[in-house]
Amino acid sequence: MTAAAARRVRWPLIALLGLLSVLTVSPFVAMVVVALTPAGKPTVPSQWPDSLTFDNLTRVLSSSGFVDWTLNSVVYSVVSVVVILLTASMAGYAFAKKRFPGRDAMFWTFLATMMVPFQATLIPTFVMVNSLNGVDTFWGLIVPTLANAQAVFLMRQFILGLPDELFDAAKVDGASELRVYLTIVVPLTRPIMATLGVFVFLWHWNDFLWPLVVGQSDATRTLTVGLTTLRTEETQLSLLMASATISVVPCLLVFFLLQRYLVNSIAMTGFK
Amino acid sequence: MRHRLRDPVAGLLFVLPVLVLFLIFRIFPSLGAAGMSLTDWNIGGEWSFIGADNYVRLLDDVNFWLSLRVTLVYAAIYVPLTVVVSLGTALLLNQVVFMRGLFRGMLFLPYVTSFVLAGVIWRWIYEFDGLINGLLAHAGLGPVAFLQETSLVLPALAVVSVWKGFGYSMLILLAGIKSIPASYLEAATVDGAGAWQRFRRITLPLLKPTLFFVLVIETISAFQVFDTIYVMTGGGPARASYSLIYGIYDHGFRSFDFGYAATWGMVLFAIVLVVSLIQRRFMGRGEV
Repeated sequence: MTAAAARRVRWPLIALLGLLSVLTVSPFVAMVVVALTPAGKPTVPSQWPDSLTFDNLTRVLSSSGFVDWTLNSVVYSVVSVVVILLTASMAGYAFAKKRFPGRDAMFWTFLATMMVPFQATLIPTFVMVNSLNGVDTFWGLIVPTLANAQAVFLMRQFILGLPDELFDAAKVDGASELRVYLTIVVPLTRPIMATLGVFVFLWHWNDFLWPLVVGQSDATRTLTVGLTTLRTEETQLSLLMASATISVVPCLLVFFLLQRYLVNSIAMTGFK
Repeated sequence: MRHRLRDPVAGLLFVLPVLVLFLIFRIFPSLGAAGMSLTDWNIGGEWSFIGADNYVRLLDDVNFWLSLRVTLVYAAIYVPLTVVVSLGTALLLNQVVFMRGLFRGMLFLPYVTSFVLAGVIWRWIYEFDGLINGLLAHAGLGPVAFLQETSLVLPALAVVSVWKGFGYSMLILLAGIKSIPASYLEAATVDGAGAWQRFRRITLPLLKPTLFFVLVIETISAFQVFDTIYVMTGGGPARASYSLIYGIYDHGFRSFDFGYAATWGMVLFAIVLVVSLIQRRFMGRGEV
């Protein structure tokens, strides 16, 4: 096939791919257009709005409920990222480089829990948290979601690939265990920690079922749960879409800043 | 000899936080789910052991069989659709060099958002005065009652989940396609194989393990559908989208019938376990 012939074949494929890409992002475009349409004015799909405004966005940002939900989502996501990165890297290090009784049995038990879907244990987890008065509290919202087998597994696999000599040398030099962790494990696992951090952030920012059952008032309700309380009957469509638009901003930031990272780690690890 | 003892102690201390979290929040509730399914347990925390009564009730429960049917029909629509869309886009991305990064980003974008957001946007898209019916009206068609028609609601929900999630499988499949040695395809081209033949005889067979992985992951996620249903249909119309997880939620947090809700959870566990075991059997060991 000549180069010219190859190019002829490619153009329909490019057009098709372009069309599919535009179709995929069009719901977001529609959401933003409606969010920027003055309240009550005609908008897509009946017609393109005559003028655009930021009024809806500022109105949403000045309503107390929405601000509470956003802050709760920030707390839920950020605390989870920090604690999961810390605990999973410690455990991953121990599983990869330490010998201790019951290590392998413990590790396989952790992996086995991945086969139990969270939704199947939703009821007992809720009953337990409820009996400890954890419903509608931050610890009740956050702590049960910190046991993350995928994170431990990923850290362990990564640290397994680091050369043993590094750790032996540090030990010969008389470095304490904590020092080894802080000066060898933490710096060397930075790339995988960054990837894991991004995923944990997205999982928690987008999480719904657990925050729905445990966050029963605006004090602990997250953005995803808050969004579902806005019904089109009571909330104007433009305000609803403005809320939706703001709620997705952190995800879009992560996406635009770290897209290459996300894409590579999914391709390499099958991380979901 | 000091380090002989130092290693086990340090190792145990390093796993301790994760161990405690797992024991309390993963392992204990997993056993608790099995235990609770044998009880009558109410919101006040009062419970009594009732043996297999919940399971007997389950077998007699019209709504349970309905929800199983809803979930299976949903999976039967969602899984093939999402595999076809993600494989198609992955193949296109592999062929096209022009602006590939941009197209890949656009196709992947919905994946980083939440199912709740997807539900909020698409609830409007499907409404009578929403995006699709508005466009249909321009063409003098419609309106179509996507979420009010029992026969349309599951395909409509499946489309939302495909839109939200196919970027993930697309990337996995794209990585699989890229790992196929170019020399195989070149050799086939030299031998006069057309595009379809190259796909059918080389790409597809070599992609089989990746496709199987995607199939399993997507099947499991189909059985866990909940967020979009909660936002868009509330299990309706006439329970036409009353999925398994919706049943768990409904019995647990609307009727506060915790023992019976845990029993529904056991069914979900059994289904996911079977799918995972099938995966292990076909994928062999070493993959975890």
